[in-house]
Amino acid sequence: MERPHNSVARTPLNSVIVQRRSKSKNYRQSYRSCLGAASRFSLTPALTARRLNTSRRAPKSHNITEKVNPEHLALLLKMEWKLSYVTPLYQFRHTQLKSYSRQLSAFIAAEKQQGMAVEVEGSHSSFRVSFSVVQGMTETDDDAETVLIQIHSKPLFAGQDEPQRSVWSGWLTCINGNPDYLRSLPKDFICLPLFGSSGPEGLTALVKSWFQQNFDCCFGPLEISHTSLQWLVALWTNCHTESSIQHLKMIWTLPVVPPLQITYTVNPQDAWELWSSVRKDRQEENEGREQVEEGGSIDIEEVMRFMQGLKSHFYRHFRLDLSAGSLKQVSTALGSAKDSGRVKISNSRYMITTLTLLTECALLKMPI
Amino acid sequence: MATKLNLSAPSDSDLSSLADQTASSRSINRSLRVAEKERRKNEAEDPFVLALKYFSDVEAGTPLFGNDEFEKNLVLVERLAYSKGLSPEAISIMLEFAMSLRMGNAPCVRVLKCLIPTTVVPQGAVVRAVVWLGVGKIPINTQILFIKWVLTVFDLIDAKDQLRAVYGFIFSFVTDENLCPFICHLLYLLTRKESVRVFRVRKLLELQSKLGRQPFLLHLLSLYKVFCPELVTLSIPSRMRSGFRNYNSPWKSALIAVQKRNGSQVASSTSLPFTIKDKTNPRKRKHCHLELPVLSSLVNKQAQTELSSSRKVVPLVQLHSLTQLLENMHRIELPAQMGSLLGSSLALQYLDCVQDESALLRLNFWLGYALHEEFLFCGDGGGSQTSEEALQFLDKLLSSQHFLQESFSSSEAFLYKFLSVWDGSLLRPQILSLLSNIPVVPSSQIGRLLFEPLMQLFFTSSLFFKCGLMECLSNMLLKWLTWHSVYALEDDLDISLNSHTSINMTLSGFKDSVMELVHFVGRLASVGLQLEGCHSLLLSFILDFYEAVCDTFLKYGLPLVVMPPPGVFYPALFSLDPVSVDRLAFIMYRYKVNLTSAKTQEKVTEQAFHISRQTFREFNQYLVVMVNCLWNSKMFNPGMGVQLGEELLLKSNVPQYWTSFDLIHHPAFMSYAVDFHQQCWPGRKDMDFNSIKHSKPWSWYLEYLYSQGYDGLKQFVPTP
Repeated sequence: MERPHNSVARTPLNSVIVQRRSKSKNYRQSYRSCLGAASRFSLTPALTARRLNTSRRAPKSHNITEKVNPEHLALLLKMEWKLSYVTPLYQFRHTQLKSYSRQLSAFIAAEKQQGMAVEVEGSHSSFRVSFSVVQGMTETDDDAETVLIQIHSKPLFAGQDEPQRSVWSGWLTCINGNPDYLRSLPKDFICLPLFGSSGPEGLTALVKSWFQQNFDCCFGPLEISHTSLQWLVALWTNCHTESSIQHLKMIWTLPVVPPLQITYTVNPQDAWELWSSVRKDRQEENEGREQVEEGGSIDIEEVMRFMQGLKSHFYRHFRLDLSAGSLKQVSTALGSAKDSGRVKISNSRYMITTLTLLTECALLKMPI
Repeated sequence: MATKLNLSAPSDSDLSSLADQTASSRSINRSLRVAEKERRKNEAEDPFVLALKYFSDVEAGTPLFGNDEFEKNLVLVERLAYSKGLSPEAISIMLEFAMSLRMGNAPCVRVLKCLIPTTVVPQGAVVRAVVWLGVGKIPINTQILFIKWVLTVFDLIDAKDQLRAVYGFIFSFVTDENLCPFICHLLYLLTRKESVRVFRVRKLLELQSKLGRQPFLLHLLSLYKVFCPELVTLSIPSRMRSGFRNYNSPWKSALIAVQKRNGSQVASSTSLPFTIKDKTNPRKRKHCHLELPVLSSLVNKQAQTELSSSRKVVPLVQLHSLTQLLENMHRIELPAQMGSLLGSSLALQYLDCVQDESALLRLNFWLGYALHEEFLFCGDGGGSQTSEEALQFLDKLLSSQHFLQESFSSSEAFLYKFLSVWDGSLLRPQILSLLSNIPVVPSSQIGRLLFEPLMQLFFTSSLFFKCGLMECLSNMLLKWLTWHSVYALEDDLDISLNSHTSINMTLSGFKDSVMELVHFVGRLASVGLQLEGCHSLLLSFILDFYEAVCDTFLKYGLPLVVMPPPGVFYPALFSLDPVSVDRLAFIMYRYKVNLTSAKTQEKVTEQAFHISRQTFREFNQYLVVMVNCLWNSKMFNPGMGVQLGEELLLKSNVPQYWTSFDLIHHPAFMSYAVDFHQQCWPGRKDMDFNSIKHSKPWSWYLEYLYSQGYDGLKQFVPTP
């Protein structure tokens, strides 16, 4: 079942992520070096040549509804999420979520009313924060449990007994994270590299800065690259037989003056047939193994062939070569994704696949 | 009582004078006893001592009006206080007198105003006075005056432990609306981690809701937050960040005057030890990843609460000097965000000796993140790249690295990625300095990580970039060699793989890396000199590099000798400026010394390293060329490195072509030859260089050249 990590071959570097310098009498590499000993060096191919995996398991429909709390699942599917990557959290404990809820709500209260001190243990009427673990949202033992954060507040002019409403939500997750990378981190660090948020920007900024101050981590914007979007096109199309994609809609931009934006919508059945045609030889080739390797895997070559097919079809009709432009947005009934890093997952069955790809993108952004 | 005291004082002195008289009449052991008496008499007669005695003994309820004696004594004390200051005992007596209100409120105020210490204030006196506050008879204004006085002299109080012991008692005055601002300041100065309690936080918050957002409450609360962020949180708006107001101007000036007069250096700093980030950049940046985090303490300490309670930890924010750092070395708590360390040299000092893997990793995550976001991911088209912030950030990083004399692994990792996208001009000095700091790169990776991107940059950039890169690579080599000499000296040179650690680099591995680097620079230099027409500036940077290379064995103990390629040697030898030729001579001289010493060592110790015959052959060939060409006028002799066909040379019509690069005809030295010729034979009209060739003038000519500062030549061919 282990999927090949062909381009990012890293070996564990358990104890040597940061090398110690000691005055003891041996001739050693400086401890602040990122290269050095042979065992450490395996990390560095990533330094210059980190790439997305060139092959991934075909999306399997997950019976995630059985594992995950339906309320949480409904929330995850309801929103469009703005993505960020997060460096590993220092001394984050899944057992402390209650206390984090209190601290974050006190922090928000203090930030909202500058110059007023706020007691952490006290009750704050303005904002109520809740942290919760989304049980069952992991794929491997190395993945840390997903954490969901919700902020509730009462509208400014609400009546006394009006209930608080959810004004912001966000989550931190790691699905199928590169096990070598995850294992290389010391025990004090929890890696939840993918952060999604939905709600007012101001609250997002506050939540981020609270995390930065408390877990010494950094947040950076996570764009979805051209290649990742192409992967999503293929991965979603691949699911068509099990769950209809309804339509395959792509938005391209072409670098001409004035800029040209093209919305390219493909009939789902046509897309599926094109996809099967680029997959065909492989399936025959793998006929014997098919029983063993359920679902098989998808190669970047197939994705590229599929995209090429879509582009040449477009060229035949409009004499416009899309290769000159870039893919900005993809949407199907299973979900939508924009290059700016906004994603909406509409179908729980393929959520894990999508999040796996996004986790990988987030891990690629890690500075070390 | 007052009258009695008044009477007793003169009678005392009368008695002693009487005794004095009798003693002198007896004249036994005269001198000794006289001295003793004298002392006692002076003491007894010292009106100030008497005045103090008056204030310590005066009874409660003594009338104040018309009391000349009181007036006289107080004036005495005041005069002394304003001129020399009061001794610790005097302070104790006067403070006790004032706060006990023995003669009412009016003298109390007067006394407080003149309490200017000479040296220190005894803690006991302050504690007693604080206790008097609780009695509740003192008018509020006087209470305020007293606390203002304590705040002013706070740094002069000889110890604070007893004051801290009554923290709770002092805290109780916080509810008094008038006293509150001053009590908050005093508490601020006294607060320790153990004084921060939930009920105190609640009390202060209750006051806050009553009084509104008051700076004094906020500052005390923000200190509470430093110690116990799990109890209270707040964010201070920028307009409120001024600290406590200065309450103490009347005493302050008097105190400074007294101290100046006494020449004492007891510095009283009532300023806040508050580290508030000053917002210096006027325009708001879209991205703030280059901003250093503020130094603040950890919130989530639950995991190690037991640990922190058993040994009291000190947040790094609380330390302000190296002495404090050293005193608390064993119990320092790292800040919540490690990135904040980069801004403070004190913290860097700590970082340098702490061996905390996680702490370093946290710092590297942050640093790597900031560098990546700013220079690699830059979403907004890189418009902000040349900004002042980026420059300052890199300068700060560089100064930290220089301070630690090491580079951070995240900046190293960043550089490898950045080199492949760098245009060679953006922040060139900073990037090149960062690059020169990177530690030894294993030879298997050095080509891909360093040489490939650098080669592209080198051949496509200007002369100045080429020079900059040469300088950077020289520095890199020097750092590697220094690193080697430091670590190898601790060890014997026979490096067997140390099995318990995987971090070791073998000597041969290190040698390979250095060799790769030297060969790489040799290639760059050869082609670079051709491209730039043997520019003397570039040549000078290249010779800098070889000055390090030629001395690797003797100066850095690395058994490695690599000769420069012909592409560097000949351009230097035929260079148009004499300095380059001289430096080449010096470099060859150092090669000779290194090789000779290696050879002798090889003979002495059996298993010493082996220098290949090829290296000796190269050296000898260069040597022959240099001597033949410069000294012996035997250019183009068969068997030398540079050979030209006889016919071709004749065709060139150069007369005596074999002399054309000797020290007389060499284009770099021709002017010296002319000058020498004129000085030697002032009368001669026509130049005849061949006359310098005769043995006498030749040795004079060499002397003359050496006297012009060409020491390299002199060392290269020692005068017999």
